[in-house]
Amino acid sequence: MNKKKGITALLMSVALAGSLLTGCSSSNSNSASNGDDSAKVEEIVFAMPSFNRIPDDLSKVTDAINAITVDKIGVKVDYRIYGPADYAQKVNLALQSGEKMDVFTTLGQFSNYVSKNQVAPLDELIAEHGKEMTAILEKDFGPDLLKATTINGEIYGIPVNKGMALPINFIYNADMLNSAGLSSADIESVDDLSAVFEAVKSAHADVVPFGPINVNPSDTNLVNLLKGTYKVDFLTDSSGVGVVVGDDGKVVNFYETDIFKDGVRMMRDWYNKGYLQKDAATTTITSMEMLSSGREFSYLGGYSGMEIGKSISAQTGRTIEAKRIAPFYFDTSAVNSVSWMVSSTSKAPEAAVKFLNLLYTDEKLINTILYGVEGEDYVKVDEHHVKFPDGKDANTVSYTAMFSTGIVGSESLQYQFEGISWSDIELKLRENKETERSPYFGFIFDQNAVKTQMSAVTNVVNQYLPGLVTGTLDPEAIIPKFVKALNDAGAADIIKSKQEQLDQWLATQGN
Amino acid sequence: MKNKRSSALKKTAPLLLLAAPGLLYFLINSYIPMFGVFIAFKDVNYAKGIFGSDWVGFDNFQFLFKTTDAWIMTRNTLLYNLAFIVIGTICSIFIAILMAELLRKLYSKLYLSGLVLPNLISMVVLSMLVFAFLNADSGFINKSILGPLGLPEINWYSEAKYWPYLLVFIQMWKTAGYGSIVYFASIAGIDKSIYEAAKIDGAGKLRQIRTITLPLLKPTVIVLGLMSLGRIFNSDFGLFYQVPLNAGALYSTTQTIDTYVYRALMQLNDIGMSAAAGLYQSLVGFVLVLVVNAIVKRVNSENALF
Repeated sequence: MNKKKGITALLMSVALAGSLLTGCSSSNSNSASNGDDSAKVEEIVFAMPSFNRIPDDLSKVTDAINAITVDKIGVKVDYRIYGPADYAQKVNLALQSGEKMDVFTTLGQFSNYVSKNQVAPLDELIAEHGKEMTAILEKDFGPDLLKATTINGEIYGIPVNKGMALPINFIYNADMLNSAGLSSADIESVDDLSAVFEAVKSAHADVVPFGPINVNPSDTNLVNLLKGTYKVDFLTDSSGVGVVVGDDGKVVNFYETDIFKDGVRMMRDWYNKGYLQKDAATTTITSMEMLSSGREFSYLGGYSGMEIGKSISAQTGRTIEAKRIAPFYFDTSAVNSVSWMVSSTSKAPEAAVKFLNLLYTDEKLINTILYGVEGEDYVKVDEHHVKFPDGKDANTVSYTAMFSTGIVGSESLQYQFEGISWSDIELKLRENKETERSPYFGFIFDQNAVKTQMSAVTNVVNQYLPGLVTGTLDPEAIIPKFVKALNDAGAADIIKSKQEQLDQWLATQGN
Repeated sequence: MKNKRSSALKKTAPLLLLAAPGLLYFLINSYIPMFGVFIAFKDVNYAKGIFGSDWVGFDNFQFLFKTTDAWIMTRNTLLYNLAFIVIGTICSIFIAILMAELLRKLYSKLYLSGLVLPNLISMVVLSMLVFAFLNADSGFINKSILGPLGLPEINWYSEAKYWPYLLVFIQMWKTAGYGSIVYFASIAGIDKSIYEAAKIDGAGKLRQIRTITLPLLKPTVIVLGLMSLGRIFNSDFGLFYQVPLNAGALYSTTQTIDTYVYRALMQLNDIGMSAAAGLYQSLVGFVLVLVVNAIVKRVNSENALF
């Protein structure tokens, strides 16, 4: 009896101590934002994904950023930087635990954040504090850019402003092509590839003619190729179960269309002829590595601009060329997949939008975030170009986030690295406006009503798709199974729900 | 009365102090988070906060049962865990007995460390070791064993039927040595005089093992067995996700509840649904422990866990 009481007392005291501790931490994080006084500088947390080495010390860059923002808009920025692998996790954790997190980006799941009410509607704030931003988005992309982040008439995010058309390029080793007696003129469309692979295979028996661009799960980019070629709109969820082909407004299951079946048959044909590795569906080696080691001839990739051959050559040390073989087709998710948002729990949404406005329009701010402190982390070469200081490179400068150029701000205001031609940036911006937009551009599917089915369908797609797009599975036998599994998982519900939402959306677009 | 109490406290104070870190650990890591199970019944909406979100009853649990995969993943999880418990116990006891016999010899410590080593290898590294053996183009088994023997090569990562054996083998390779430590300790704790008495009565080594070691290990087996039963609906994510390289063609034999939940919710990122899956797994495990313990108690009350 006594013992029990003792334990209870102990547990109670521990629980008390615990609650005291948590009490402390929450009051700490609040005190920073208590500056209600309008003369005072407001503070926001800004989280940025970086594909470079994460620097140990951010204080210099943070100071440089604050020098700009405090002066111009009276906002102090608490700058956080995370690697791509844990970015979403860190941000989600902060949002879930109620930690301060004001400005962050999606890496692909825009509508999820909105449907869970994690982000704030920005209409009024943008109208008041984001005029310059709206202007530059309109200049670089067109007036309809923000449609991609508008749900139920409210803007919830700002897409990154860059070259967003990613036409499918055939990326290949030019030396191998030449030694097989062919030239780039022999590659016009995807129909020519079979003959090219055959020639390369007979000239280089030990080389894999074609490989998947992504591994685990493997993806040959077949789906994107078909999307661009046949104008397929995935209607913002990547599962592919409810898509519209062309402009007939009818939501169908992509995996039941002849487009998909024919595409997979082509892959199967390539696979059977030995153009792909036997373990293409499960390999863990990316095409980039295979290309570098000279063991692979080609892959398909979606890239903007015309300079991609050069930059892959530099990365792999081989002579790589790129040839566009399919156009791009703007659907909503092509544009909103990287969007900056303001947390719905932000205490200072105004300051956050003011900061976003600068993030898209202030050349100095954008380039400080990307390249660090001028003179220390980078030096300017000319108006548009920078390089590392002498004797330094990406690994030895104290700060660089140069691989995040596709994540932040406006590409037209970013400095480019020495050697990249400026005309390519202009081309990308032109293509933003010229690339064909889906008639359903701006439609965003709300998955909430069918999330049970979505989770089941996602699983089925993961199970079958990698094997099909790499040709390792026999389409004649597997596609019927695949479609049946999708239907068992509730594909029809998703299609129905999507069709309803699409019809409603179309009706509102009429006015 | 008062005196008695204070003296009792004096006696137990050091023990309580010893138990404090463990209790604290359980409190913080197991009991306080348990409070969050109500999230499994909510449609989490961040603007309203988790307490303000709408109750949705059992909606979040639906995705676990609605598909045809539900049967496959439950079957896989249960059968693999049963196999791991049964075969694992046998292997561990076998190793422990061998070690106990070896202990007097010189290199036993070396052997023990060697046996524990696989357990320290991360599943990701292990998956690469396995890949080196099973890789279709350059794997050891295809190139150095099946090839020279004139047997046809096997595309291991697209043939689901081999994986039940492969996964059990891999799991045993990794954990049997480590698992034997507890049994090894129990064997070391058995009174040596019993063996001496048996020897005098003319019992051989095998007879000693059968009639002394194994019966005396029974309580340990039951305790450890019950504890693994509590996690029978959970699976080692690394083993079922990393080792088969997340290959779609293998899902029919490698899909477990944990991998299903991971794959299904990666895109949705819905904490209500993941909480539901976790609650379901824990609840079934909890019920199983209670039931099995009750059975053990009925058969032999001394061996029951509680």
